Amino acid sequence: MSKLTIGFIINGQKKTIETTTSTRLLDLIRDDLHLTGTKEGCGKGECGACTVIMNGELVASCLILATQSDGAVITTIEGIGDNECLDPVQEAFIETGAVQCGFCTPGMILAAKKMLEENPHPDEEEIKRGISGNLCRCTGYQKIIDAIKLAANRLSSKNGGRSEKDD
Amino acid sequence: MEEFPQGLQNSKDFSGGDSKKCQRTVPCQGYFAPQRIEEALEILSRYGKEIKIIAGGTDLLVQYYDRLYEINNWLDLKNIKELKEVKINKNQMIIGAMVTHTQLESSEDIKTYYPVLSQAAADIGSPQIRNRGTIGGNIVNASPAGDLLSPLMAYDAQFKLQSNQREMIVPAEEFFIGPKKTILQPNQLLTRIILPLPEEKTYGCWIKIGKRKALAIATIILALVVKMAEDNKTVKDVRTCLGSVAPTPIEIKEVRKKMAGKNFNQLDFAELGQIVEDKISPIDDIRGTREYRKDVAKEIMINALEEIDSARRERNY
Amino acid sequence: MTERYVGRNVYKVDAQDKVMGKAKYPDDIYFDNMLYLKIKRATHPHAHLRRIDISKAVKLPGVVKIITADDIPQVKNFGLIIKDQPVLVGIGQKMRYMGDALAIVIAETKEIASKAVRLIEVEVEELEVISDPLRAMEKDAPLIHKDGNILATHYLEKGDIKKGFAEANVIVENEYRTTFLDQVPLQVEAGVGIYDEESGFIKLWVASQWLHDTQADVAQSLGFPKEKIRIIQPVIGGAFGKKEDISVHIHLALAAIATKRPVKLTYTREESMIAQSKRHPFIIRVKTGATKEGYLTAWQAEVIGDTGAYASSGPAVVHKGMYHCTGPYNVDNVKGVAYTVYTNNTYAGAMRGFGTTQMAFAYESQMDILAHKLGIDPAQFRLQNAYNIGSSTPNGQILTHSVGVKETIKKAAEIAGWKGGLR
Ligand SMILES: Cc1cc2nc3c(=O)[nH]c(=O)nc-3n(C[C@H](O)[C@H](O)[C@H](O)COP(=O)(O)OP(=O)(O)OC[C@H]3O[C@@H](n4cnc5c(N)ncnc54)[C@H](O)[C@@H]3O)c2cc1C
Ligand code: FES
Ligand code: FES
Repeated sequence: MSKLTIGFIINGQKKTIETTTSTRLLDLIRDDLHLTGTKEGCGKGECGACTVIMNGELVASCLILATQSDGAVITTIEGIGDNECLDPVQEAFIETGAVQCGFCTPGMILAAKKMLEENPHPDEEEIKRGISGNLCRCTGYQKIIDAIKLAANRLSSKNGGRSEKDD
Repeated sequence: MEEFPQGLQNSKDFSGGDSKKCQRTVPCQGYFAPQRIEEALEILSRYGKEIKIIAGGTDLLVQYYDRLYEINNWLDLKNIKELKEVKINKNQMIIGAMVTHTQLESSEDIKTYYPVLSQAAADIGSPQIRNRGTIGGNIVNASPAGDLLSPLMAYDAQFKLQSNQREMIVPAEEFFIGPKKTILQPNQLLTRIILPLPEEKTYGCWIKIGKRKALAIATIILALVVKMAEDNKTVKDVRTCLGSVAPTPIEIKEVRKKMAGKNFNQLDFAELGQIVEDKISPIDDIRGTREYRKDVAKEIMINALEEIDSARRERNY
Repeated sequence: MTERYVGRNVYKVDAQDKVMGKAKYPDDIYFDNMLYLKIKRATHPHAHLRRIDISKAVKLPGVVKIITADDIPQVKNFGLIIKDQPVLVGIGQKMRYMGDALAIVIAETKEIASKAVRLIEVEVEELEVISDPLRAMEKDAPLIHKDGNILATHYLEKGDIKKGFAEANVIVENEYRTTFLDQVPLQVEAGVGIYDEESGFIKLWVASQWLHDTQADVAQSLGFPKEKIRIIQPVIGGAFGKKEDISVHIHLALAAIATKRPVKLTYTREESMIAQSKRHPFIIRVKTGATKEGYLTAWQAEVIGDTGAYASSGPAVVHKGMYHCTGPYNVDNVKGVAYTVYTNNTYAGAMRGFGTTQMAFAYESQMDILAHKLGIDPAQFRLQNAYNIGSSTPNGQILTHSVGVKETIKKAAEIAGWKGGLR
């Protein structure tokens, strides 16, 4: 294990931080930056609770070395929406009851957001594929899928696109 | 990207182009992220077994969970741009070792020429895993259940291995020698995967059987590639490659003999399925029993032949 | 206060915090100067501990302290129903499953704690490992706990079972087995503890399902008055029964007392799989009788529940399972026996359904098999035997309200497109 200094942009803020070669990006985010919205559910890439967006890609931060994030641009759940104005995906999760214990929620929301960015009108199968790296043990997924559909509808009507149901 | 405050943009300070400087300064210790293959090979020859090559890390960080401290030095390939390219060179497809499953899945060229590889990549893990996991990592990790390995064999892939002494090109079949065992030496890097561009009437089918639709390590894999003659009926050549049924991905060569030169319309699919079942000797493990695997191997072979048959009929030449 | 809520959608109170990543779960709590714990676990599922050598581990820079059973002679066993679980296994004592704790390592970082755990050397004297409850019940089986491997036996009797079988035209007898299941809440066991020397308070932030029960158990184990133990419930990342049992609590308390610093302990997922409770695997032997018209006359059940190395909620789970042996069906003559059995498997406790889900596998299978034997549509067979208002359960409870099983069966058949018949 060696110590070294790395730098990255996280949630729009530049950070320079000392870390070690045996630290995971997940540990750096949680233990050093205290951005605890990013969770650890398995540590092995299976559950998606540790999901963040790094350089525009959905990734599992438990499978990335902190040093590998040197020079990267990272978004965690804390970088989505704010107190005054939640992201439409966040709103939809609240409204449809897609949040129960909430442990999967940050990762799930990031996965949903990323998917909607790439595919604004996903069908049910595409939604399932988009969140297939995120486990939820409480909801049975149906309300999460409903939330993503609702968010998709709202986003597309806001962008002047088609709107089936805006309720 | 925005300008950086004091960070190590492009990792210059402890990797970058100046590897001599890197050697002496403290921050370079333990983690190297060079930008060129030659530098990587140079670092590799210096450290040999004392350094771990890391690509996407999706196998390594699982293997070293809670014991990452055991690795003293990392060689990260992330900055080597040429390893991330998919390109056609004359009659070959060259895929860089750092190409991710997401890249493979979304590449139009791969989809057109190597649909079996494209589908295999799309079936790996989850979006998070496909975004990080690489073809090189999948190959070098050499899991008997590695999803890309059977398709690569089925398309007659060759691997380019480089050290700072020499480079060599080996066929996929010779590369794998056991579960998680390959001929790769500690001072070697897998740099490229080379695939011959397939002839026009080549058909393929990919079948992966696992416990779930996502995040499933395969219980059995079949990659079937059939080359048809000009008439779109006579079988010119065939590759029947399976994963998760032996210590390494394997080809059932007997199928070649049975099918070559035959009219596809007159093939006995059940007989071919039976050959596959007879020629494999899988083991019992947590994902399935030997008996189950043998039964399923036969059935998926028949399904794959049927699928290829209908694809062939759809294409009216 | 006059606002009405019934019939209206109400958003979950903490949903906003959760979608923003602000909700604080136990592992999200940090204190300055905090130390990290890791547990050295059993090296064998059934063995006497002969020697434990921590000398290499304590020398590792960054290790603050390692607690073994020798350091805590005053600490008592714990457990939900029976206090049979040791906080730490001492020399000469037995480890009974792979999750038993042998030592608490306290270090400046998680990494150092992990390294130190691997430096602890253990010598054991191996005993026969009992992984099958049927073996545990044999006369010559070694005892896992001194009072015998059958921890509890419960009986059930309603009506006259002999008469019931005499009235039956068809009798079906089968054995069913269910497996271990982990509840897998997405958040593993985790917590933070502090000890305030001045006031003598121990504060534990741990996701728990039974705060007061946990408080009492921690207090009796440590020999503290209850009011000195404060269990604070942060947001909880799922539980499904798994967090009814003590997990990190007592280890945190001991480490906080020993170091006077804030301490944190988070299990790995594997540790959670190995060390914390599971759904009981059941062996269910059932004999069911029915008339040729398709009415149940007799139901006899023997239930063997593998509670693993420790009781946890076992006696209650297996007992309750037996009470549900007939499912939601009317039977006048019922007889049952349930054994809760110790083995060297991971201990089993509460999980959604508390013994009833295992039974459902057996009774619904019996119903299908009987329906086929009788040549009656299985849905119809169920309907004509299902509970009504006024039905009495095997343990004699008269159902006076909320009996929706017939409607449920009808609705399920409709949604499934069930056309009747035998398939
Ligand atoms: C949750 C999860 C699900 C998964 N699902 C699947 C699945 O469905 N199918 C499947 O096949 N795999 C699966 N995997 C395994 C893994 O994602 C793949 O094998 C992946 O392709 C590995 O690539 P990587 O770049 O992440 O490898 P790394 O972990 O970076 O490296 C793997 C090994 O290869 C070596 N290595 C990497 N690149 C090179 C190189 N260029 N030259 C020399 N050595 C090199 C490394 O030193 C290491 O030993 C899964 C993994 C996880 C965590
Ligand atoms: S903690 Fe990273 S995927 Fe589960
Ligand atoms: S809400 Fe609990 S895991 Fe998804």
